Amino acid sequence: MSDRVHDLVALQDLELMIRDAQDPASKEKEEALGFAVHGLEELQKARETVVKKIPPRDLRLYERIRGKYQRVVVPVRSRICLGCFQALPTMATRAVSENGPLPTCENCGRILYWL
Amino acid sequence: MQVDPGLWWGADMDAESFLSYFDDKRFIPDLRSRTKESVLGELSRALADDDEIRNPAVLLEMIRRRESLGSTGLGKGVAIPHGRSTAAADTRVVFGVSRRGVDYAAPDGEPCRLFFLIVAPYEDPRHEYLPLLGKIVELVNEKPLREKLLAGQTFAEFQATIREAMGERPGA
Ligand SMILES: [Zn+2]
Repeated sequence: MSDRVHDLVALQDLELMIRDAQDPASKEKEEALGFAVHGLEELQKARETVVKKIPPRDLRLYERIRGKYQRVVVPVRSRICLGCFQALPTMATRAVSENGPLPTCENCGRILYWL
Repeated sequence: MQVDPGLWWGADMDAESFLSYFDDKRFIPDLRSRTKESVLGELSRALADDDEIRNPAVLLEMIRRRESLGSTGLGKGVAIPHGRSTAAADTRVVFGVSRRGVDYAAPDGEPCRLFFLIVAPYEDPRHEYLPLLGKIVELVNEKPLREKLLAGQTFAEFQATIREAMGERPGA
């Protein structure tokens, strides 16, 4: 897997975790089950660290898609984009070169992550 | 916010749907790890046997970060590391037992022996994740069940223990 897509997956997962930890209903449920939810600052620091690893061009694409969809990076399974559930063209590939474009869905434009 | 307790505690989940999140390939009766860090890795690697998860490292990263929010050790020797990730296509549980116990920074300071690692997809349209988490918490609260899970050596025994516990529960 490309490290570039990997880093965007890590960023997206972290942002989801931060959002859940900030959401009173979600936090309340976790705490009611007996789990501590208090290290929000640690997560925000981790987010900054991940952001620094991402090339600015990839980050701009991520933010641009974020303006349209909450979920920017989506899994691909059996050649289906799990963001819009359209089949990918047969030429779509998981291969990402160091400086080439990130794989995106032709239909919805989200960044693709091959499971 | 009004929460339907029946929904999110998983009160309406039967034993078979509960067990559908588990698998023989994700059953580890004798965890080798001695530390929290290594046990998370050992549990995550069991996910790689699953054809749908190609890169457990991504999930491990997410699980480690969840721990920085607060330990998922519940006390009484139980830990339930959990979280949602872009890299998970479906909700899956890895169950593992440590015979020696692992120092997991649990609130009661007890070493952890029973581990349930839950990974769920970024989007959870069927709302499976919290009911499942709630059901596990509810089950492991019972001491006899914890003892049976510790004594079990095979996945068949694990399934039998769960079926018995959920079958006996009135209204379950
Ligand atoms: Zn798409």
